[in-house]
Amino acid sequence: MIGGYMGKVLQVDLSTGAIESYSLPERMLELYVGNKGLGARLLYDLLPPMTDPLSEKNVFIVTTAPLTGAGAPSSNRFNITTKSPLTGAIVNSNCGGNFGVFLKRAGYDSLIITGKASKPVYLKINEEGVSIEDASELWGLDTEKIQEKLTAGTGKLVIGPAGENLVKYAAVFSQERAAGRGGVGAVMGSKNLKAVIAGGKKRVPVAHKDKFKDACRKWRQLSREHPATGEELPRFGTSIFVNKCNATHTLPTRNFLHGSYDEADAVSGETLAEKHLIKNIGCYGCPIACGRQVQLHGKNIKGPEYETVGLFGPNLMNADLKAIIELNYQADLLGMDTISLGNTLGFVMEAREKGLIKTDLAFGKIDRLSRTLDDIAYRRGLGDDMAEGVRFLSQKYGGEEFALHVKGMELASYEPRGAVGQGLGYAIGSRGGCHIAAGYPIYLEANGPITVDPLATTGKPGLVVLNQTTMEAVSTIGCCIFSVYMFLPKALLELNARSPLISKIVRSTFLYGGNIIGKALSWPAWTLPVPAPFFMLPQVQTHAHCTGERYTLGKMMELGKRVVSMDRIFNLREGLTGADDTLPKRLTDELQRAEEPRSKVTLSKMLPKYYNFRGWTPAGVPREKTLRTLQIEEEPMLPQTAMGAASTV
Amino acid sequence: MVEVKLFASLRTVAGEKGFLTDAASVGELLREAAERYGEDFAKRLQIATVLVNGKNIAHLRWKRTRLKDGDVVSLFPPLAGG
Repeated sequence: MIGGYMGKVLQVDLSTGAIESYSLPERMLELYVGNKGLGARLLYDLLPPMTDPLSEKNVFIVTTAPLTGAGAPSSNRFNITTKSPLTGAIVNSNCGGNFGVFLKRAGYDSLIITGKASKPVYLKINEEGVSIEDASELWGLDTEKIQEKLTAGTGKLVIGPAGENLVKYAAVFSQERAAGRGGVGAVMGSKNLKAVIAGGKKRVPVAHKDKFKDACRKWRQLSREHPATGEELPRFGTSIFVNKCNATHTLPTRNFLHGSYDEADAVSGETLAEKHLIKNIGCYGCPIACGRQVQLHGKNIKGPEYETVGLFGPNLMNADLKAIIELNYQADLLGMDTISLGNTLGFVMEAREKGLIKTDLAFGKIDRLSRTLDDIAYRRGLGDDMAEGVRFLSQKYGGEEFALHVKGMELASYEPRGAVGQGLGYAIGSRGGCHIAAGYPIYLEANGPITVDPLATTGKPGLVVLNQTTMEAVSTIGCCIFSVYMFLPKALLELNARSPLISKIVRSTFLYGGNIIGKALSWPAWTLPVPAPFFMLPQVQTHAHCTGERYTLGKMMELGKRVVSMDRIFNLREGLTGADDTLPKRLTDELQRAEEPRSKVTLSKMLPKYYNFRGWTPAGVPREKTLRTLQIEEEPMLPQTAMGAASTV
Repeated sequence: MVEVKLFASLRTVAGEKGFLTDAASVGELLREAAERYGEDFAKRLQIATVLVNGKNIAHLRWKRTRLKDGDVVSLFPPLAGG
């Protein structure tokens, strides 16, 4: 058996109460590994095409990766995959809470939930057995209180009132960490599933124990010594990007009307650290510990992340950091994604200014926001419409040109008219306007230490393909995306800052070499038989020692490419097309800055090349040859028994 | 005058948010900052990103970049976040 796996998947049908477990075919694990890759494949196999996401036929899948719970740094993540009620596309929502680790301790790699319970229930999983328990007493509790009520010493997966009330961007929580995006919480709510708890004492089997331990030790050291992951991120948290994005015109301000905000520093990571930080907190087993613990009304709580600060702060013209802390905590308790929420508030504020919606919500006016959050979670008044997200609001009230979403998912906190590759990433992201699905090219365009011309379209398709492929692979093997920051090693940063000539070479490699990189990435794995450099990608070697599988750079990249195309064929099956790879008009037609004629996202210059590098047709459909090379098969890979169990739903 | 803005650990080490200078070039400005805030700061400057009016100048004229009245120079250490 491949190392890192417990060898069993648990499948629960909430309609019939049937509980069964089975093993996945080894070939499926070799090709799709875990987390979002495996989740995508399982969803493709199990979900009947064109299923309503909030119907009992939708499938809710929790996957882990071989590294989850194995003891590697920044690698205990789990993933939730389902069909999104917000977008109708695939959603894979990654979380740093401890549920994945405890699921494996109970003896399972993945959990598949089908059907719908007739009354509120929670699921209890341990080594001795699995049971469906009554949750009538727990229904209505917020995400914190319910976790306090459930058995101590277990990993928990819960929803708050927003999930119960089917808010389209309701999140799922594990500890204080969220699987935030795409409404995975609403899918749990639609199944009357309030929580899942898991626990046990089983250990993850590692293939090459000594080599694995050594690789983990070296990785920790690298992470500690890297200036980004060892110092800046732990010291200032993710909001460190507020000031950098502000300086580079990529900080969404006033519902993405502008890319910078005069009062950005008041809500920055520096200010958060100086005025509010009590201590760092991290995802389960992560040495970076970029999370913030702050104090609110005498209580220690989780502080806001960059995305929340950006979208509750500058995007709403709000410079009150304490108010952001309070709203973030409230949104967490209610169980909502703060990215979609911040965008929804921004849209309504602008729609009011334009006379499209009657409301007292207004930019810079924060005293009404707390009540609005409750209205959304409990679907009261205008809150009922706001709970459907920006796309719905714009279709009902008008204002589609400033409805900041892609495929129905609201944009993350990066204004792409200041970094046009990020705009391309948003447009093609499988789950919609998400910075992670976009491949986060902005790091090499504007907010990272080495950046190319952020407004040039040349080379960007290749850059997006490179970033996206790397991040999908790293995410699929269970690691935090932040561990990819070591992709630019300290030595390169020192070299880059030494002379303009070296900087020019590094920059040109990324920008003008982008198309060569993109083309090279369309070749099969065997053309790149070299090992992944440890100082850039320690995740790969650690994963290889855990599983006992040999991994080359080519094989790793192929994994990333496979996941991107797998997501794509799922979305195409669900009725999405290349026409959905687009951005709102504000970003494609309006200049961000009148004095800068390139400050808009010209997708037509980038999309065709991106499709070509991916091996997709000009209409954005993966070619047969591409699917063959990536070994993506139409036929289900799951055992017939599992397929049968799903089809009885 | 040129406004120099300091961020993240550079701000912590300097103990202030920035300063005003008459420096005529980025090189001159960096030398002044290094002298002003000491050895630890100077070491960090070696891997810092320098933005002049929001634009990264590492690949352009870098330290020879001329500065004029009203320019804003932002100094960032290598960041990670998001």
